[in-house]
Amino acid sequence: MNLFEASRRLLAWRALLCQPEITERGGVAIPVKRAAVSRGVGFEQLELDVELRDSAFGTPLRGSDLAVIAAAFACATAAAAIVATGGVVSEPSLFAAVLVANIVTLALGGLVWRRGRPSSLFGNLLLAEGALVFVSSLSGSPSSTLYLIGTLGVWAAGLGATWLLLAFPGARLGRAGWVVMGIGVATFLVGEVPLLLVSPRVVGLTGVRTCVGACPANPVLAVDSPDATEVFRRVEGVLQLTWGVGLLLYLAARFLWASHARRRLLLPVLVSAVPFVVVFALSAALFDLAGAAPTDTARAIFSGTRILVPLGFIAGLLFARAYAGEALTFMARKLVGRPPIAAVEQLVRRVLDDPQARLVFWLPRSEQFVDRHGTPVALDPAFARITWRGFGHGDAKALAIVHDDALSEDPELLEAVGAAALLALENRRLEHDLVDSVDALRASQRRLVGAASAERRKIERDLHDGVQQKLVALRIELELARDVVDAGALDGRLAELAANLDDALDELRSAAHGIYPPLLADDGLDAALREIARRSTVPLTVDLEDVGRLSEDRETAIYYCCLEALQNVAKHGGDGAGASLRLWRDRKAVRFSVSDDGVGFLPRRPPAKGAGLTNMTDRIGAVGGTLAVRSTPGEGTTVAGAVTVEASDWIGDGVNV
Amino acid sequence: MASTSEQPRTAVYRLVVAEDAYLIREGIRSALEREGEEVEVLEYCPDLGSLLRAVELHRPNVVITDIRMPPTNGDEGIQAAATLRESQPEIGVVVISQYVSPHYALKLFEHGSAGRAYLLKEHVGHRIQLMEAIREVAAGGSVVDPKVVDVLVEARMRVRNSLLARLSAREREVLAGVATGASNAAIADSLFLTKRAVEKNINSLFAKLDLTDDKTTSRRVRAALLFLADSDLESGAEVGPEL
Repeated sequence: MNLFEASRRLLAWRALLCQPEITERGGVAIPVKRAAVSRGVGFEQLELDVELRDSAFGTPLRGSDLAVIAAAFACATAAAAIVATGGVVSEPSLFAAVLVANIVTLALGGLVWRRGRPSSLFGNLLLAEGALVFVSSLSGSPSSTLYLIGTLGVWAAGLGATWLLLAFPGARLGRAGWVVMGIGVATFLVGEVPLLLVSPRVVGLTGVRTCVGACPANPVLAVDSPDATEVFRRVEGVLQLTWGVGLLLYLAARFLWASHARRRLLLPVLVSAVPFVVVFALSAALFDLAGAAPTDTARAIFSGTRILVPLGFIAGLLFARAYAGEALTFMARKLVGRPPIAAVEQLVRRVLDDPQARLVFWLPRSEQFVDRHGTPVALDPAFARITWRGFGHGDAKALAIVHDDALSEDPELLEAVGAAALLALENRRLEHDLVDSVDALRASQRRLVGAASAERRKIERDLHDGVQQKLVALRIELELARDVVDAGALDGRLAELAANLDDALDELRSAAHGIYPPLLADDGLDAALREIARRSTVPLTVDLEDVGRLSEDRETAIYYCCLEALQNVAKHGGDGAGASLRLWRDRKAVRFSVSDDGVGFLPRRPPAKGAGLTNMTDRIGAVGGTLAVRSTPGEGTTVAGAVTVEASDWIGDGVNV
Repeated sequence: MASTSEQPRTAVYRLVVAEDAYLIREGIRSALEREGEEVEVLEYCPDLGSLLRAVELHRPNVVITDIRMPPTNGDEGIQAAATLRESQPEIGVVVISQYVSPHYALKLFEHGSAGRAYLLKEHVGHRIQLMEAIREVAAGGSVVDPKVVDVLVEARMRVRNSLLARLSAREREVLAGVATGASNAAIADSLFLTKRAVEKNINSLFAKLDLTDDKTTSRRVRAALLFLADSDLESGAEVGPEL
């Protein structure tokens, strides 16, 4: 396999798998750094256009990574050369292929893990295992010392592989892991070490045995005892069989008890490792215990299965990332809309497969985490029982997921779930902010409209008590004056004057009423609208329900909307247009409508571009109401509005809510 | 504040007048002074509270009150009329107003139309209108300013399929007269008809409008006014409530 090509592909896959494209869903724009994945030194430019959430993935290979690659390349080449030129190995090409493949895949796996999970020691373990495999290649050397070292390297690599399988995806062993590991170490100490002292032939780990006839001499032989050799070989066989079976049982049990997420990680390792472990155990039974001689086929099978093992570690990480990507997509889809926090938490539990998982939220003001009920949650490292992972932007904390300790080994999944939960949370916050600003806007609109309305009332009052009153007084005086003059020319002039004064009074009165109808404040909507109907210049039918008294701003808004709509009928409805005015209420709102049978208009081309409709919408909007205008040319126009009224807004009687 | 309560009580109409605006009050004073001995103003008051106290003190038979006065500048005049209806129903009340809206006249009649008049302020100087209002309310009758009735009739004529369209022009004039509170004789005078002809017209128009004719003019006024003002009656529903 071409190392560069492989690592390039892997990096590209990783980018694709772990960072599924996040589209704008639920109205949330995700801050994404748009970056083309590019590898520097020694690599072609990758033309992958992938959106990355963070740049950790886009960083070029570090110097240490390059050193690892170079070392792996050198080790693989050296191992192949040693085996091919040593003349000790029965099938040098097969053995060399296994060694090269193992060294390369272990180095590659180490790199993938180090970059994919920088927090994990597992990548370094893989690199160390690669080094051990290289050491084991010395068992292809004709030098007896090097051969011995190589043989011990085979043992070390075998024990190292066992450690990897037991610890995966972590770096440390659990109690059961130590038991299996102990059996492996015992096999070496109780089986192999005595054998080295009593057998003239160093045979190494059964199944990985390299030489057939021309094995180099044993430089540490103490006593050449064929009987003891036979005994210790059996002891070693039994222990190796136990080791293999123990490892199989351990892997099976772990898989069965693992969460869904964890199984994704374990499955590739299980699939790739089980054939080798089976062959390993079987060869102990066949060659050490039953005394059969290994055939070429057996060696080929053993080598083939061994090549597979390190691939499982790489595939495991990729599968985990793929699963995390799926989880992110799944959650993003589920979190569309406005899921309550409880639902988000349920979703997190489901995806993490951890029924105890909790979302906790950072309160910047009180500087503490609280759960969704508002109960403070201590996430102090001192409380070691709690395992959690925090999410936020940069240094700003936002939320944390408190989870099962086992999930610590699934950081991709936690990251994905945390990112989705963070999005959901921020979505809600944005919405809150939006609602807040809409409320603020409405409040200011309401103040404006309220101020305008108060001003109108004041002007009406000033007119009524000022100029109108003076005119009325004049009119009275004029009538009194007419009384004291005799009928004649002067009386005629006075009568004319009186008629003119009456006209002036009428106009003034009408203007004052238009500015603000005192009726509205005195007796409410129903009375004021009835008055509109009486003064209407278009034929009007009215259907006014007693809606009781509302707050002043609501009454004023509805009043002026109806007035404006009726004036529109008079102005734009055409000759002979009639109208109907309705006012009623239902459980939640006071509603009104002004319908005419006039000429109508096309919705896109309202007859007047003036502020009439905007004014109406603003007034109604300021009190949290809605307004709709429907019109069909030739069939007339309907303006309908609704103002939501809470129970506390009813300030008058006559209402049974 | 001119008070003439020390003078011997010989006047036919003993009045308490409530009006907060100086100019109007002076206008009323001049208008009433020209009536001589027949009218005596016991006290001029500037607001609702002083009006009610003055009524307690002087026991007038007619009150003339502004509709909009302190303390709230709302409809204090109508409140005064309602209060007096309870406490001293024999007192007639003339509410003077700058509002041509029939709403206020109807509101005044809500507690009964007997002894109540609704007069626009600009007509206070009109000798006949003012004195007629005073005389009518003192006698338990009702008066509505003709201008208010005109507004109503005009509005009703605009309404489509108005019942008023069933009436002849003459009948509409008579109905308007009835709504102002004019007696049959007065209507006959103003329309140059015989009293008999007015009666005939009234019978005919009341039948056409499904209204019940009432010989008591105050009730007749209210029925006519309600008919004119209440667009709900368009559908031919029942006539306004009985008193």
